[in-house]
Amino acid sequence: MLHVPGYYEYCCRVKVVAGHDVLERIPAILERVHATRPMIVTDRGVAGAGLIDVMTEAMGDQVTIGGIEDDVPPDSSIEAVRRIAEAYRNNRCDALIAVGGGSVLDTAKGANIMVSEETDDLMAFSGVGTLKRRLKPLIAIPTTAGTGSETTLVAVIKDHERHQKMPFISYFLLPDAALLDSRMTLTLPPAITAATGMDALTHAVEAYTCLAKNPLSDANAVSAIELIAKHLLPVMKQPEDRDGRLALAVAATLAGMAFSNAMVGMVHNIGHATGAVCGVPHGTCMAILLPYGLEYNQHRNGHLTAELLLPLEGADTYARTPRNQRAQRVIARVREMNQSLHDITQGQHPRCLRETYDRDGNAAVPFERLPDIVAAAKNDPAVFLNPEDLDDEDYRMVLEHAWAGTPLDCTRIKRG
Amino acid sequence: MRMELVYREISPGRSYLKRAYLSINLWFMGRAIQAAARVDDQVRREFRSLPDKFTFALGIMPEGPHFIVQKSGVDSARYIGRCIDAQPVDLKMEFKHLEAGMLTFTFRENTPVATARDRLVVDGEVAYACSVVRILDIVQIYLLPKLVARLAVKRYPRWPLGRKLINRTRIYWRSLIGY
Ligand SMILES: [Fe+2]
Repeated sequence: MLHVPGYYEYCCRVKVVAGHDVLERIPAILERVHATRPMIVTDRGVAGAGLIDVMTEAMGDQVTIGGIEDDVPPDSSIEAVRRIAEAYRNNRCDALIAVGGGSVLDTAKGANIMVSEETDDLMAFSGVGTLKRRLKPLIAIPTTAGTGSETTLVAVIKDHERHQKMPFISYFLLPDAALLDSRMTLTLPPAITAATGMDALTHAVEAYTCLAKNPLSDANAVSAIELIAKHLLPVMKQPEDRDGRLALAVAATLAGMAFSNAMVGMVHNIGHATGAVCGVPHGTCMAILLPYGLEYNQHRNGHLTAELLLPLEGADTYARTPRNQRAQRVIARVREMNQSLHDITQGQHPRCLRETYDRDGNAAVPFERLPDIVAAAKNDPAVFLNPEDLDDEDYRMVLEHAWAGTPLDCTRIKRG
Repeated sequence: MRMELVYREISPGRSYLKRAYLSINLWFMGRAIQAAARVDDQVRREFRSLPDKFTFALGIMPEGPHFIVQKSGVDSARYIGRCIDAQPVDLKMEFKHLEAGMLTFTFRENTPVATARDRLVVDGEVAYACSVVRILDIVQIYLLPKLVARLAVKRYPRWPLGRKLINRTRIYWRSLIGY
């Protein structure tokens, strides 16, 4: 049953070009936005994997590249933004092409503000509604199938001096085009394919089951879930499956459209906090926490979770499963997916917080840090649109179960 | 076609009443926050987590009624008035228009639904907004009868009877006499 709210807003105006030979179209796409000298922004990982070479080769000599900045840090910082803006000006570029994940795109968005507004004070443009006109053309080429940031109007940039993450929110920050080419995700390592795929799944599931859902975001979410359910495990087993890779990239963009309009809930709320306190990668947090979010909210939105069994497991299973067991089945299916990803990656994809490790092989989330995660979660606004409220005790309970990898005890969930 | 069918009629009289209704509600709520910070431990804990002299306002755009509350001391609060232009505010939460404010203050739309429908503009640090929302929830639970409060907040808490009954009376009295 479609839920039609009495009021909602939906905006999605990014041109999407998807296929196996999209990179060849870059010159034409640049021409359409009247740009002739683009600057390429990326990070070391992407450049090291040879993806920029794949791209420049596909573009041929029809475009003069104004410069390649390939050292965006994992956390988009104001220093990187300044450096790129300066290079852009020195090389007289007239467009930006961001090749990478969320931080690369955010950095490119920040640099775009500086060069378009001709300012040295980026922070003067932070917040909502401070940008008043179109910026320089920006093209996004995602290299992970997960964040969906190519469809969002937000950029978050870290100000190291003030120790703050500054948000910039404006429709002018939406890229002019998002290019999804299967070649860009073909070499993504298995553990990252798994984590980013589960991040995209979480975007779609939370958009569909939380409070700001609407028929337009629902349509995006359901298609995204179907594509991920169908292609994530096959791609894990066969990484060079080009059609599967493209399907996952499209799913991530669809999920991005869903959640940038319908927002997210407690899975992202606790996930942001776990990432901030313990440094666990975002997608990993999502994979682990998704079943817990669905379990915790079940008394509120179980009927919505139940509907997701159709895109997740197909018509036969949906019809065969009694109505009152469908939500449970969805939760079980997400856990099975995590188990399969764990098996295929030989344990690199963790099933619970206890199984996450930092670079030196130490436990990333020691049990003693759970109270710190609770404190951080309380200050994250993603919880506003979660169907059920969480107090300190609730956060603690969810985290303890997610840490140990045991299902929630439904009798301990407060119903008010 | 007659004009009335094409343009929605604007009735100044009714909008005046709505403004008055919202003014009284906001005034009382601001005073109740001050009272609750003296009486309720959880509200005190929230204020303790906010920076010194932290000032926040809740109100209606544009130029509608507001209340402004400031943290005073370690964990208490002071209602400091209705005029948001009089002093700088760290966090401003405003309904986009009168009608949106009415939907919430007549309990036809609870706070989560109002957020989902993007009725409020939040200007300031979001982490502090989270604290303020929790304070507002607790104050609403004190001020409103259970049946109405259930519509206003996401989950009606199970407090011990003493917290609810004794504190509620104390908050009502303090709000009225402004202490
Ligand atoms: Fe995410």
